[in-house]
Amino acid sequence: MKGRAAYLASRVGWALLTIFVVVTFNFLLFRILPGDPARNVSKDPRLTPATVAALTVRFGLDKPVLINTESGNPFDSQYFIYLGSLTRGDLGISYAFRDRSVGELLGGALVNTLWLILPAQILSIGLGMVLGLLAAWRRGRSLDVSALTFSLFMWSLPTFFLGIILLFAGSSWFGLPTAGRITVGAEFGSYWEELADIGRHLLMPTLAFTLVLLGEYMLIMRSSVVEVFSEDYILTAKAKGLTTFQIIRDHALRNAMLPMVTLIAINLGFTVSGAIQIESVFSWPGLGSLTVSAVRDRDYPVLQGAFLLLAIAVVIANLLADLVYGWLDPRVSEA
Amino acid sequence: MAALIEVASPHSAPTAAPRHAIRILLRSPMGAIGAAMLLLALVVAVAAPLIAPYDPYETVHVTIEDIYQKPSLAHPLGTDDAGKDVLSGLIYGARVSLLVGFSAASIALLIGGLIGIVAGYRGGRVGSALMRFTDFFLVIPDLALSIVIVAIAGQSLTNIILVIGALGWTTTARLVRSQTLSVRERKYVLRARAIGAGDRHILRHHILPQVLPLMLANMVLVISLAVLAESTLAFIGLGDPTVISWGQMLNFAFGRGAVSAGAWWALLTPGFAIVWVVLGTTLLGTALEEALNPRLKRHYLEKDRSLAIPPRSAADLALPAPTRDPNGPILQVRDLAIEFESPGGLLRAVDGVSFDLRRGETIGLVGESGSGKTTAMLGMMRLLAPGGRVVGGEVLLDGEDVLSLPDAELRAVRWSRISVVFQGAMNALNPVRTVGDQVAEAIRVHEPGVGRDVPRVRAEELLERVGIGRRRFDTHPHAYSGGMRQRAMIALALACRPEVIVADEPTTALDVMVQAQIMELLASLGREMGMGTILVTHDLGVVASSCDRVLVMYGGRIAEEGPTSTLFSDPQHPYAQMLLASFPDIAAPDRELRGIPGTPPRLDAMPPGCSFAPRCPAAFDRCRIERPDDYRVAEGRRAACFLLDPEASHRG
Repeated sequence: MKGRAAYLASRVGWALLTIFVVVTFNFLLFRILPGDPARNVSKDPRLTPATVAALTVRFGLDKPVLINTESGNPFDSQYFIYLGSLTRGDLGISYAFRDRSVGELLGGALVNTLWLILPAQILSIGLGMVLGLLAAWRRGRSLDVSALTFSLFMWSLPTFFLGIILLFAGSSWFGLPTAGRITVGAEFGSYWEELADIGRHLLMPTLAFTLVLLGEYMLIMRSSVVEVFSEDYILTAKAKGLTTFQIIRDHALRNAMLPMVTLIAINLGFTVSGAIQIESVFSWPGLGSLTVSAVRDRDYPVLQGAFLLLAIAVVIANLLADLVYGWLDPRVSEA
Repeated sequence: MAALIEVASPHSAPTAAPRHAIRILLRSPMGAIGAAMLLLALVVAVAAPLIAPYDPYETVHVTIEDIYQKPSLAHPLGTDDAGKDVLSGLIYGARVSLLVGFSAASIALLIGGLIGIVAGYRGGRVGSALMRFTDFFLVIPDLALSIVIVAIAGQSLTNIILVIGALGWTTTARLVRSQTLSVRERKYVLRARAIGAGDRHILRHHILPQVLPLMLANMVLVISLAVLAESTLAFIGLGDPTVISWGQMLNFAFGRGAVSAGAWWALLTPGFAIVWVVLGTTLLGTALEEALNPRLKRHYLEKDRSLAIPPRSAADLALPAPTRDPNGPILQVRDLAIEFESPGGLLRAVDGVSFDLRRGETIGLVGESGSGKTTAMLGMMRLLAPGGRVVGGEVLLDGEDVLSLPDAELRAVRWSRISVVFQGAMNALNPVRTVGDQVAEAIRVHEPGVGRDVPRVRAEELLERVGIGRRRFDTHPHAYSGGMRQRAMIALALACRPEVIVADEPTTALDVMVQAQIMELLASLGREMGMGTILVTHDLGVVASSCDRVLVMYGGRIAEEGPTSTLFSDPQHPYAQMLLASFPDIAAPDRELRGIPGTPPRLDAMPPGCSFAPRCPAAFDRCRIERPDDYRVAEGRRAACFLLDPEASHRG
């Protein structure tokens, strides 16, 4: 059990280190690149000098960037103030929505994004594993060839373009709504009616997202299953007189899942980019739409917060994947 | 089983030579189509001013009526939200897409290639630090980061290229690193280093020639990613406003009412232009990768295509026709023939093997690597590696032909009546399941009536019996030593008390003391349980001490068969004579050891007559034309050699 604890500790340590680097990187990015927020606020011609000064003090922009060498307290700098507010969950105040905190905006958007991502992820992982397995088993047959063709085409189709096609098709053929999370101004008789309305809005975005993810998962599962099917222990299982079904269930599936778990985790960056595109096509009020509107409004606190949240989410998901991997593969945790 | 795979694929180099790769690529329809698609896009981009009907950067003549016009003769693909010709926009857009794709991919390749080579070549701390750095970038959601950077740094084409290039290098770095690592450890590189070649020489002459072709294939895929990234940024509204790109055309059309105006031409055409370029590069890149690094094409669960063909009538002069007598031999193999598919056609790996195995008897099957020993044994149980199949012969187990059994009955025979001790038990045991469970599984499958607890109890007894101990029941194979794994494999093979056990090189790669213990264990358990054992090995010492009879195999055929003592003291076939002369004998330490000159024949270049003729000192004309049949030498002894033909006049 010593091996398992050490593995756990090393993965958690690596995740914490990555988060720290992401936080610092995120801080520096917004101060190093041209067009940083300090200059941005002070250059706004609509503001009076007094307001600029007040805002500068309010956002802490009058302090040194990394380390305060002038006053007695070296930690009285923008970086450490930023770290301090982060630990309190304070991500600052939106420029565009002056009265709302970034944390509040992000929280609402995150829930909506999860509504979009989770069903699509579950559907595409489940379908991708089944289809990938069948394609590998029937390697070279028609099912395999069509699965490969589908994956190739899905890979070449930009996510936002697939979204546009489905939006077009959904609205003109099935009368589905084209934008938003819920019909604006509608009165609902019950909670269930409201939920059904949200479901109608979610249908096409979820389908688009599922299709985009499915091609890749299917391909990964297929190659990983073909690999496992060529292993010597599969020959042993066959020699033992097991049926093909027993071999797949008891000897191939768990081993084939190992690369899947890693690749699902690595793919989370890809999932985030898919969410950004699909949300902007369907005007789904999630993190992706928030990011895009923050770019348009040059709303740096929101942009910074959204990026931080996305990056940390991916790091944590990777950590979970590492833990699942350790649980699936005894060689990792039991040494 | 490594030998088997060598038989199946004569080429064993992990990466095909570049020239060979180009040939494969040209023959692959995928690569040709991809290259053609990409070439067309390139021609359109270069010739844009010549072929575009309008100049999309020219806006003077556009009026309100021109907006979202349907396709017509004047505008083959209609007009867009600003009343401009969509076709011209598409043609000029190819320039931006390809420019961004190629430039960003070059940057990504440069960064990734450098990091990969340094990490792979230097290894150690620098290498692992660089890989950590790569892992970090792999985790960052790259679209989100490029949105942030382009938004802050400004929406110029240069910034977009730099951002996409600077974020797109991670896969290249990983690929180049692993290739560099594997090349670095190859023998010729180690040799070059041993004779004093410097880093610069090794990098230029050994590493780069092996890494560059892979990078080329990777570049094609990175280009497709860069094209996608550019169009996504442009669609989100972060494109360079001064140039026309496909993503931006989509952004304008989608944002300015093309959906409600039903202007499908303005929406679909730029999208399909992106698909065209990305599909072309992906097809080309996939074909290139396939050509450079041919993947495993076959696996063990593909349908068994074995055919049972009746044995040839004239064969087997020395062996009696098989009997169905219950007191006869437990296993009778007659004229077994096995072929493998290869790029050059069918190769015959086993060509008419016949032998008997009696109950409780141990026979040794000896021969050099590649003589077809393992293939014959696996073929007998219809367990050939993918691409191989039994094309003739009979395998009678207690009078019943295994080769013609339906699948369900074949599964019932496997393991419960014939089991195998595989060589290289590390890979033959499933790494994610406990050893004990894998032993118990065999009992559960073949004796479903025994209940839940019996398989475990019996598996524990077996582990105890082979000297592992029941306490290690719930341990995974990786925690076992090599000798223990081999013992576990024996316990597994004995689980259903089979009548025949095939032990394939059971002691290879173990140290001498452990070898002796394993052989002793196998022999005593075999005697105790009354099993017939076939010991496949190239170790004549093991055969001398534990086998009743010996079969000497060469070139897929049985060269000689006889009782161990007489065959060892008086071998008849020249190959058997030379094989024995090449092996040290404790009883005659002063005897001179002689190796056999030459190498065994390749399957794709089998000599027409006797397969040993090219290496045989006693070969004469007939040996090079005609294939020798078996000649009976004495009771229970036979050899396939014309020197023993009683009707011919002997030479020499």
